[in-house]
Amino acid sequence: MAGSGNAHLRPDALLSARDLVVEFPAAGGRTVYAVSGVSLDLAEGETLGLVGESGCGKSTTGRAILQLPRPTSGTVQLAGQELTELDEDAIREVRPRLQMIYQDPISSLNPRRRVRDIVAEPLFIALENVSRRTAMAVWQERIGELLQSLLRRAAAPLRIVGRLASVAFVLWILSETVEDRAAEGWLGWTQVPAAIIGFPTLALLLLAGAIALLGGLIWVLLAVMLPFGLMSRQFGEVSSAVGLAGVVVTTGASAFMLWRTWSSFGGWAKWLNSGGLILLTAVLAVWLVLSLAKPERAGASGVATTLSAMVVLQVFYVAGLDGGIKLAVLVASAVVDALLFRWVLRRYRVNRDAERERAEPRVREVLEYVGINPDDAMDRRPWEFSGGQAQRLSIARALVSVPQVIICDEPVSSLDVSVQAQILNLLEDLKNLMGLTLVFIAHDLAVVKNVSDRVAVMYLGKLCEVSEPDAMFEEPAHPYTELLLAAIPQPDPEAELGSGRIGGELPSPMDPPSGCRFRTRCPHAAQRCIDEEPEMREIAPGRFVACHTPLVGETAPVRVETASASRGES
Amino acid sequence: MPDLPGSDARPLLDVAELRTTFHTAVGPLVAVDGVEWSLSRGARLGVVGESGSGKSVMSRSIMRLLPKSRVTSTGNVSFDGIDMMSLGRRELLEMWGPQLAMVFQDPLGSLNPVMKIGKQVGEGLRVHRDLSARAARSAALDLLEEVGIPEPHRRIDEYPHQLSGGMRQRIVIAIALACSPRLLIADEPTTALDVTVQAQILDLLEAERAERNMSLVLITHDLGIVAGRTDEIIVMYAGRIVERASTKTLFRDMKMPYTEALFRSIPKVTDDSHARLEIIGGQPPTMTSLDPGCKFAPRCKYAQDLCFAEEPALIEVPTPSPARSRITGSDDDGEPDVGADTHLYRCFYPVGTDDAAEALERNIASGRVSEAGVVIRTD
Ligand SMILES: Nc1ncnc2c1ncn2[C@@H]1O[C@H](COP(=O)(O)OP(=O)(O)OP(=O)(O)O)[C@@H](O)[C@H]1O
Ligand SMILES: Nc1ncnc2c1ncn2[C@@H]1O[C@H](COP(=O)(O)OP(=O)(O)OP(=O)(O)O)[C@@H](O)[C@H]1O
Ligand code: SF4
Ligand code: SF4
Ligand SMILES: [Mg+2]
Ligand SMILES: [Mg+2]
Repeated sequence: MAGSGNAHLRPDALLSARDLVVEFPAAGGRTVYAVSGVSLDLAEGETLGLVGESGCGKSTTGRAILQLPRPTSGTVQLAGQELTELDEDAIREVRPRLQMIYQDPISSLNPRRRVRDIVAEPLFIALENVSRRTAMAVWQERIGELLQSLLRRAAAPLRIVGRLASVAFVLWILSETVEDRAAEGWLGWTQVPAAIIGFPTLALLLLAGAIALLGGLIWVLLAVMLPFGLMSRQFGEVSSAVGLAGVVVTTGASAFMLWRTWSSFGGWAKWLNSGGLILLTAVLAVWLVLSLAKPERAGASGVATTLSAMVVLQVFYVAGLDGGIKLAVLVASAVVDALLFRWVLRRYRVNRDAERERAEPRVREVLEYVGINPDDAMDRRPWEFSGGQAQRLSIARALVSVPQVIICDEPVSSLDVSVQAQILNLLEDLKNLMGLTLVFIAHDLAVVKNVSDRVAVMYLGKLCEVSEPDAMFEEPAHPYTELLLAAIPQPDPEAELGSGRIGGELPSPMDPPSGCRFRTRCPHAAQRCIDEEPEMREIAPGRFVACHTPLVGETAPVRVETASASRGES
Repeated sequence: MPDLPGSDARPLLDVAELRTTFHTAVGPLVAVDGVEWSLSRGARLGVVGESGSGKSVMSRSIMRLLPKSRVTSTGNVSFDGIDMMSLGRRELLEMWGPQLAMVFQDPLGSLNPVMKIGKQVGEGLRVHRDLSARAARSAALDLLEEVGIPEPHRRIDEYPHQLSGGMRQRIVIAIALACSPRLLIADEPTTALDVTVQAQILDLLEAERAERNMSLVLITHDLGIVAGRTDEIIVMYAGRIVERASTKTLFRDMKMPYTEALFRSIPKVTDDSHARLEIIGGQPPTMTSLDPGCKFAPRCKYAQDLCFAEEPALIEVPTPSPARSRITGSDDDGEPDVGADTHLYRCFYPVGTDDAAEALERNIASGRVSEAGVVIRTD
């Protein structure tokens, strides 16, 4: 195999991937050639089975079609729309039409969310896309991504700087100012620990030129991220509340400390007051607005944290002003707060509830399709389900937005044969009913044969054979397909254990063999297989094989040789 | 199960009256209900059953690896004479690895995403064998090779997300095998593996069993695997054992209608593509509100009034079935023949009996079941 060439592609396909290449960087500046020029296409309502040895690049191919991550090169067209050229937002708009069922069912579901929300999520995205995608939402995400990557990179240096700065700060307070300031009456003994505890925020505020901006952002970011960090599936529900409470308490406490300390400093407090805090408040406000533009993504705790942080900051700000202005600002900010809160609650809760309500019948319907009792399941979380139940939740989630194409990565591997049969029949019905188009990645060849209209066999990042299943299983044309089929275990205790083992090791995807990639393990390998990469060609109607000497169709193997084929790669 | 003469007097693992209940928002969910079985040294037990029937929870209960809150687990689990239920955390930590090990169903979830895989594989060895970091690494390398990870030298320094699904699954197996456990519970260990690698992994488990007399519990949906790789099979439904028999007997002479229906749903490579698959009609029972009677009754084509009113007990096949003598006769191939003589099932109208045939006829006459034997009304 290991062939390239696009002889098997058709012009009228709904989904068509051409020459997909996916490479990952590896240690030592080397490259993993995970997928090397795979071309696939699917007509509407067709199911393409994708099989091959573990690690040959099936999942990577599936994800490349979804642009997760984007392929290194190659094109993917869905109904004539070129996906590789779309930006992130446009891709997101395509997603409800192009869904994926991931290989690890339990891990691919968010452990913190309830089934009703998990399954409904593609619907929310779909709704959001048509009705209220705003520029703000885009910005919020960009800022979020940027900050996250910044924080990831900056975490270690920031911690060091933070620690150094905190030591310096404390020393400074202690050595230079304690006595003077204490004499001035602003630093009582209680305030030393207060200053220290309240420090992280303050230190960050002091750090760079854009002290307030940077510090505030990181602070908020940390606060927003804290509950996510605390969260893990063991804690589940409890820790949502605990995490949120933690955020509120730490935010409140550090703000209070900050205020106590800051109110004692005369000089730069004014500066912070007029400059930094306004900026900080503004940043928070923007952040808040942005997160509101996309509540599903921001999450309740993020919104709540941002809100509480904002209010606390306003308190400083107001407290630092003088006389009459103070009153005016106080009143104004109270009004703004009230409006804001009202708006937030309305928008967040009402929208969410309304969406949920609208989604509920649909969610129930798909859960029933996949044999999960909705009354029982809607309010549970993914880790409370068995492996097979979680797998069916993923399937329900993929079906809910009525997609055109679903890429199913081992969608039935954790199901007992009867539930599996039920799901396979369901997919078959949906296919007939609404022209659902499927890429079906699986190791169980009997299952693949049952669901597929065409089967593609992969080996080490390339395609070996693309054929109609009955013919392929009857008479495999590629030497690798033959070995694969020979190893199927039989559900019969008297049967011989599968004897068709493939000798040798899977070659390294960092250093794939020259010519035909299967040649190191192929019983029919010849010199030509080393020198020349076989091209995909039609050996019988509907049967495409990339092998110099296919096992079917005794036509002279040289027949279809073209200039491009004999160029080969070596 | 009673031990046969010649085998070790005491089974390695003895599970009795095991009952595990989750206290969910919608009420108690008895995920495992009074399960009883035992396993000899070097024996291979297959566990099959409906998705959600309690296979994983049963294994985690035996291992004492359940979540900490909102769950109660009672019963007796004795491992080599040690009462597992009475062990404290520290003693359990000593047991996990060298005594009992488990391959979890969700490979990605059971790996640490931010630890290199070499370290994760070698960790157990460092703890239980006191190996140096270096020795553990080289042992980990050997293990990776044994489970068929290509390029182990490179993979050992990668993180789980850099591996394919099947490789992650093999890493989890390597971790479980690292300390040469005496009992391995493998929960769906080969779902992400292609048939050739799957065969290789099963051979490896077989070799471990043959060399060290490791006992193996193999939970799987792939009936092709249990057929060739186990001595005895337990069939579970709704948290209960509904049938237990030696592998050969079960495949040939199943008694429980659920087992029969399950086996009929196996897709066969020899079938044409797009052949309609047989399913078991109706829904699995809602585990939080189980009806009295046989839990399979609403979906069973033989079910009679009695089945809805009363739950059948797990009983032994009354007369020696022909399969039974066949098994005893043919078991001279060195395979452990433990348990080969016990055939238990839970059903009032066991498959293949006249009672069942009459019951089916009555159901067809009443219109509950179609002529073709499909349940039409699942009430
Ligand atoms: N993020 C990544 N970084 C580095 N290498 C990767 C990454 N993702 C996948 N790979 C490599 O790409 C190759 C193909 O992986 P892929 O997950 O596509 O295999 P697969 O065919 O789905 O296998 P399986 O059947 O085991 O799931 C493997 O060698 C894998 O290690
Ligand atoms: N943490 C939990 N909280 C509540 N219910 C649970 C929890 N874990 C499992 N369950 C329930 O217990 C039952 C048995 O689950 P278990 O995981 O043992 O099934 P299984 O037989 O392994 O199924 P599968 O073959 O699908 O993996 C299921 O109904 C499941 O929903
Ligand atoms: S015969 Fe040659 S081209 Fe064909 S699969 Fe074998 S090595 Fe590849
Ligand atoms: S015949 Fe009755 S007891 Fe037996 S499985 Fe069917 S319903 Fe249950
Ligand atoms: Mg995969
Ligand atoms: Mg399970």
